[in-house]
Amino acid sequence: MIKLYDFELSVNCYKQRLLMSILDVPYERVLIDFFPGWEHKGEEFKKINPLGHIPVIDDDGYILWDAHAILVYLAARYDSSGCWYPTSDPELLGETASWLLFAEGTTNTASAARLHDDLGYDFDIDACRAGAHRLFRVLDEHLWFREQEGRDWVCSTHHPTIADLAIFPDVMLSEEGGISRQDYPAIRRWTDRFRRLPGFVPMSGIGPVGPGL
Amino acid sequence: MVRDPTVLWHPIASVGDVPPRHVFHGQLLGRELAVWRADDGYINVWENRCLHRGLRLSIGVNNGHELMCQYHGWRYANRTAQCTYIPAHPADAPARTIFNRTFPAAERYGLVWSGEAPSGPPPEVGVLDAGSAMVLRSLPVDAPPGLVAEHLGRYRFCPNDRLDAEEPEVTADGHDDWSVLLTASAGGSSTTAAFFVQPVDSNRSVIRGVLSGSGEAADRLTVLRHHSTLLSNLRDRIEAYAATTPPPEPMEVKLHQVSEQLARVPVASVGRHAPLRVRVSRKWKTAEGVAGFELESIGEQLPSHQPGAHIDVHLPNGLVRQYSITNGPGEGTAYRIGVKREPNSRGGSECLHESVREGDVLAISEPRNNFPLRRDSVRTILLAGGIGITPLLAMAQTLRKDDLDFRLHCFAQSPAHLAFPELLKELGSSVTTHLGLTPEATVTRLRELVGRYETASHLYVCGPGPMLGAARRVATECGWPDDAIHFEYFRNDNEVDNSSSFEISLSRSALTLPVPAGKSVLEVLRANAIPVPSSCEQGACGTCGVTVLEGEPVHQDVYLNDSEKLAGDRIMTCVSRSRTDRLVLDI
Amino acid sequence: MATIGDVAGCSDPVILNEWHAISALEEIVLGVVGETVLLDERVGYTMFEDSACFAWRSTPDLTLGGPVDAVAIRDPLPVRSQYGYLWTSLGSPATELFSIPEFDDAERRNVHAGSPMLATSAARAVENFLDIAHLAFVHQGILGEQPHTEVSDYDVNLVDDEIIATKCDFYIPKVGPNFDAGIIRYRYRVPRPFCVMLYWDSYDDPSREDVIGMWVQPMRQEQVRAHRYLGTIDRTSTDNEIRHHQLLILGQDKPIVENQRPKRLPLHPQAETPIRADKSAIAYRRWLSEKGVTYGVIPALT
Repeated sequence: MIKLYDFELSVNCYKQRLLMSILDVPYERVLIDFFPGWEHKGEEFKKINPLGHIPVIDDDGYILWDAHAILVYLAARYDSSGCWYPTSDPELLGETASWLLFAEGTTNTASAARLHDDLGYDFDIDACRAGAHRLFRVLDEHLWFREQEGRDWVCSTHHPTIADLAIFPDVMLSEEGGISRQDYPAIRRWTDRFRRLPGFVPMSGIGPVGPGL
Repeated sequence: MVRDPTVLWHPIASVGDVPPRHVFHGQLLGRELAVWRADDGYINVWENRCLHRGLRLSIGVNNGHELMCQYHGWRYANRTAQCTYIPAHPADAPARTIFNRTFPAAERYGLVWSGEAPSGPPPEVGVLDAGSAMVLRSLPVDAPPGLVAEHLGRYRFCPNDRLDAEEPEVTADGHDDWSVLLTASAGGSSTTAAFFVQPVDSNRSVIRGVLSGSGEAADRLTVLRHHSTLLSNLRDRIEAYAATTPPPEPMEVKLHQVSEQLARVPVASVGRHAPLRVRVSRKWKTAEGVAGFELESIGEQLPSHQPGAHIDVHLPNGLVRQYSITNGPGEGTAYRIGVKREPNSRGGSECLHESVREGDVLAISEPRNNFPLRRDSVRTILLAGGIGITPLLAMAQTLRKDDLDFRLHCFAQSPAHLAFPELLKELGSSVTTHLGLTPEATVTRLRELVGRYETASHLYVCGPGPMLGAARRVATECGWPDDAIHFEYFRNDNEVDNSSSFEISLSRSALTLPVPAGKSVLEVLRANAIPVPSSCEQGACGTCGVTVLEGEPVHQDVYLNDSEKLAGDRIMTCVSRSRTDRLVLDI
Repeated sequence: MATIGDVAGCSDPVILNEWHAISALEEIVLGVVGETVLLDERVGYTMFEDSACFAWRSTPDLTLGGPVDAVAIRDPLPVRSQYGYLWTSLGSPATELFSIPEFDDAERRNVHAGSPMLATSAARAVENFLDIAHLAFVHQGILGEQPHTEVSDYDVNLVDDEIIATKCDFYIPKVGPNFDAGIIRYRYRVPRPFCVMLYWDSYDDPSREDVIGMWVQPMRQEQVRAHRYLGTIDRTSTDNEIRHHQLLILGQDKPIVENQRPKRLPLHPQAETPIRADKSAIAYRRWLSEKGVTYGVIPALT
């Protein structure tokens, strides 16, 4: 069974739990005392990931780190529909990769701001917040035009991809980093849609949405 | 001169921002708003704050008919914002006076308009009224509204048919503090754009633009992108300019206090009166001997009802009768009741059947709930005898919408005697009918249906006296505790004896009053100007109940259950009397 | 007075003279400057090998992460190292710290479960901790479960100037192999304005109580750190599992308390709508009013 080196409040770990729940892939959690213990920075853990960060998965001896890389692997291996990571369509695959890189941006701004405000990380909080707002403006405009085209997700498909999944937690927990979503109505509607996906599980800080119509 | 912004209408959202089952997070003049569309299409604009603990309702759940707060699950009804359910106290009906603050809403030009206290209708822009409008993507700007409006006056864009025009001519057709009207022309075609600046806060605005006569635009998306790009560039310029001066202080927003009465725990209600005026918008035969009435408000919005609630209907002949509301949750534009023509009518049901017609106006009380529905039950059994179906229909619809487990059993003479068949059909497989049973067969059937008591099960019974009595006996025999058996009688068939005389002592008012033979406690209280709410005045509905602190009451009502009667700490002032010389009441 | 940016320092004598936890002792690096914010002021702290602790108003010569020598610390603040935490005060506390008899119980494990920050006032955080009705909604599936939402009547008393709520019964779902779903009985204790504790019968030994404490460090009027302490008889969970669980719970409360408006707790009785289930919160607000607390609250009379 897949082993996930996990921390409850980490958005990047949550991305893996979320995808495995949606794809109905069983896994076991190895809880890392990330806070307040800093276990991921310890010598023991660096034997697993020398970079000293989580999440890491161990799929029957195959070890992989970096949140978005793991999403690529899990979707490519376990999503039989091929929708979450559309490898068969080069254009769509390119789009997905592009928005996955966008998610690196939201992680480094919005989720960094959250680490600063929740756990006291020493980041330039003003720069994190300003950077997140710049990205959210782009995302809101993009999603608004997607809605005008009759589409629901960041890539030009009728099914969500791991790009949506990678961006969603950074956005959904942004307010914990002092980044309000009030000015991004299209993003707020997209988070409603995402929370209504079959197999969706929340993490601490993500509220309920209720059934759609 | 700058007009007072609080008396004006402002756009607060695009229509596309309020899809069903979503809560939009808005803000106007510093005040945060929770904006949501109910399944019936109504747009609610509310203070973004649960009255209980101040939680933002914009993170609550829009279930189509109510908005539920995420913190403690308080529910507020569509239209009225009245609190309909407090899960921490599922056996209590919430005080009718718990309302969230609402603001007016209007849809015009693809935008949702509201205001603190706007006068007159929302603004009219002639050129927009003419044809179908195209709503642009709204743009939040971190700058004061006045500055945004000023810059918008210099906005340059191309007409829809000439998006490639190098130097379009743009003329300003109008300009005020909050809006700008511009027309772009090039190569013989022209497009007019109306821009409204929403004053979000002292340093925050939203540009909301609408294009005139653009329904026929060849490439709608290209036009929308044209403006989105140009407006984003304009925003960058405005924000860069605004950043050169220190931002003004945010606007101060006054939050309303709740009433002194609500700040006290618990809450009392008011006396018997009929403040609402309704028009009979529909009257129809819903079953053999049963007429359905749909009652529409002719004044203000009707108060929200809770499942199990009834209203007093004041009839043209002076009589007052109680009828349960059958509506499902959130159906607030009209109340629907069912009236059975009683063979021995004392004039109530006969009057409604014979005299009251569609279009007539009736006086009714606000809905009052003495038969509250618990929603913390894992299994709910609803037993309806004949016209006793009415409050249980409201309950069944609520339970279904909440996705809670329930069965509705309807006892009736024949299929033709089943009232509101269309609702029963909608409830589908949750409904079982039991037709034409003898009294003995009814008891046997009840025993099968009720079964052994299991934790967190609740039983609701409404119907004729004998059936109700049988159901209560059967449930008790099957081990159901009194607090899991809920019932509502239509009337009190007991002979009420009012021949005794005694004294009542009112602990809070420090008054002692004699109750002579032939007068009820309620009448004595009324005669001494002590207001006590009442409804049926025959010991069936529970409205006039008060707490007894000392003395041994003689109950004579059918509202309290046996253990409540035994406890002796509550009476129905319309029929109850005293075995002791004195009753001390908590009023 | 040293302030940082937004607001001038605290002028509330009640809160100024309180003891406030500013760090778990286990998180202090020996002989190295740690820094935090307390009542709008930057406060430095450290501990030496002999377990002596120091706290001081930050000065430019003692920088975060740098080494420190005891002789270099001028004007130290009063400190206590108790219950696994470093406590200090910017005023002069009139009393010692409140007592936690459970802490010295040899059979009990004392676990520090982290000190995450919350963007709200200390009093809102305490009131959320005291709240029973939210368990079925905010902690659905863990500390409560819909539709079992009823809060039955419970007792609230003021005992030796502490708020004590007893007989707080609430439905809890099945949360572990040796625990069945059913009614759990809680007891709450508010020993000081920003310190709050919860007791319940231990799953592993029903004759004894487990305890959670939350020491809310008021960094600013609308920003706090919530130090979570657990004294548990739990024989099955590891410290790490306990920490994960506590962080999960606090993480669920976070968006709630951060989305309350106003963020400062309003003490006027008509500011919000209390119900019977809120008896302990009503008592807490009244108690803060009577003490004259103004920091992080909206006083009833303004």
